[in-house]
Amino acid sequence: MKYATTINDKTYLIEINDDQHVVVDGKTYRIDLAAGSGQALYSLLIDNRSFEAFVDEGDVEGDLRVLMRGDLYDVKVVDERAARLAKSVGGSVAETGDYHLKAPMPGLVVSVPVTEGQAVNKGDILVILESMKMQNELKSLRAGTVTRVKTKGGDSVEQNQVLVTVSG
Amino acid sequence: MSNVTKVLIANRGEIAVRIIRACRELGIPTVAVFSEADRNALHVRYADEAYFLGPAPSRESYLRSDKILDVARRSGADAIHPGYGFLAEREDFAGACAESGITFIGPKPSSIAAMGDKAVARATVTRAGVPVIPGTEAEGSLRDEEIVAVAPQIGFPLLIKATAGGGGKGMREVHSTADLPHALASARREAESAFGDGNVYLEKLVTGARHIEIQIMADTQGNVIHLGERECSIQRRHQKVLEEAPSPFVHEDETLRQRMGEVACRAAAAVGYINAGTIEFLVDKEKNFYFLEMNTRLQVEHPVTELVTGLDIVKEQIRVARGRKLSREQDEIKMNGWAIECRINAEDPYNNFMPSTGTIIASILPTGPGVRVDTCAYSGYTIPRFYDSLISKLICWGETRGEALLRMRRALEEYKIVGVKTNIPLHQNLLDSHRFMAGQFDTRFLEERFEMNDATAPHPEVAAILATLVAHRRGQHAAQIVQRGERDTSNWKWVGRYERMHR
Repeated sequence: MKYATTINDKTYLIEINDDQHVVVDGKTYRIDLAAGSGQALYSLLIDNRSFEAFVDEGDVEGDLRVLMRGDLYDVKVVDERAARLAKSVGGSVAETGDYHLKAPMPGLVVSVPVTEGQAVNKGDILVILESMKMQNELKSLRAGTVTRVKTKGGDSVEQNQVLVTVSG
Repeated sequence: MSNVTKVLIANRGEIAVRIIRACRELGIPTVAVFSEADRNALHVRYADEAYFLGPAPSRESYLRSDKILDVARRSGADAIHPGYGFLAEREDFAGACAESGITFIGPKPSSIAAMGDKAVARATVTRAGVPVIPGTEAEGSLRDEEIVAVAPQIGFPLLIKATAGGGGKGMREVHSTADLPHALASARREAESAFGDGNVYLEKLVTGARHIEIQIMADTQGNVIHLGERECSIQRRHQKVLEEAPSPFVHEDETLRQRMGEVACRAAAAVGYINAGTIEFLVDKEKNFYFLEMNTRLQVEHPVTELVTGLDIVKEQIRVARGRKLSREQDEIKMNGWAIECRINAEDPYNNFMPSTGTIIASILPTGPGVRVDTCAYSGYTIPRFYDSLISKLICWGETRGEALLRMRRALEEYKIVGVKTNIPLHQNLLDSHRFMAGQFDTRFLEERFEMNDATAPHPEVAAILATLVAHRRGQHAAQIVQRGERDTSNWKWVGRYERMHR
């Protein structure tokens, strides 16, 4: 299978045909991938060079984040068929109008400084959430109008619970 | 002479484990206490006895001095070590221990009270000839209007600090009168929530300052010695992140070290101090130093001092609590080599340091020459959200600062914690920074002049290959196992299940 993999605006054409080899921009490498402890830590041998790294989901759906030797790489991996498909559709789908602020961790809502119907700018504080003894200011990633406030000061919230919705 | 024959540790996390270790080595039985969230914590397992306190929030467990004293009575513990945080700097708790005939392993209640009230502390050390930073602490609790009025007299930039504070909670920096109201409100809110006391004061912000502290030890016979300095300038949101001993700023300036040490001993003596304590100083570029505060307890970063002096501070604390003389005289304290501590916090350095809770799936500890790890985390441990995010302290020793730094780099690379995000990458980037290597930093360095620079990361091709292989596997497995539209969980879980099946 062929992939177009991009890091920092540089795209690598990577072909995977079996478990022992990859072809990167026409050059063949012997590889050996082992999933280490847990589900996110991998050990990779490339022509006997040993690398250990965390591979995690990125911020954008489908992207991966590779954390290796103290460096973080944001990686976009697109398989050939998907790339062709995207081209025929004409680029990616525009962002939808709603931004849902989700609790990044379980915690206690200290306050919600916005109300429904209020206009907000990108970076405005939507919720102050206390967790692990720190107060964290959760900011809007988008300018728009607050359409739903689903929490209030004093609430205990779970991770990924939607707190506030901003519509663009 | 007080007996210390059984020690109750009124704390949790890595520090409870640390104290239990000292007791074990001394052959003293230990009593742990735990909240609902900590049944599986290491300190519960390592202690000889463990008693349930109450629900997870600190207020209902680790801050319940009545329950803790009751456990002491029931278990027959005749001494309590408070660790840091929680009840460590509460004079009422130290007093209650004394009333119950229990030895509090720490200073007298009156010393805690004197140093805990910052206005009293400043006045006391000023009388002892110790320099302090200009501010409003001596004025007591001021209302917002009074603070706004007095601010321009001290001059900007300013710091708002919580009267009952510590650890950066309730602290805000202000650059103009216009910023004051918002900063005051949020500082008071945070202080109220952290300490149950919303009172704040102003202090002049010394720019280009370093945070250097002196560890002192005092016994009941009137001996006060210092164990040299620790460099604690690497901070984020006024929380220490990395500490070292000695300080690269003081380093070979033995005169400065002894001057600061003598002043620290004088400050401690001024409140009749007994046991381990730390005098924090701000040091400006001209090597003027100002008293910041005294921490009347064991510090998080005490291990760096232990590694360079060879003294076990917790054992020394117990020795002092038993009424014995300090094991060393001042001229027997020599700094040998260099030690660095990285605080490993469960937080995401790539997402504004958001705390990360969850279960640690795997933890691979660094080992080998010159490496020490003080931790409460292990594979299968779930980090509770009720307490702070410090899960481990990685401490490395080297003959020189250079060796200690290189060793720390090596150890950070070995340290693998899977399941929660940690700030290990922050430490790795910091240790790669030229300014840090050269020792050229102040308390603002980490937040203002340091960036996690990943654009020049050296192995993009390897990362590309790895990500592609993982995506490839994921896609293949998902296609094999999952029928379209029926997936109720993430691909990651499927990959994990697949790998477990095919192991």
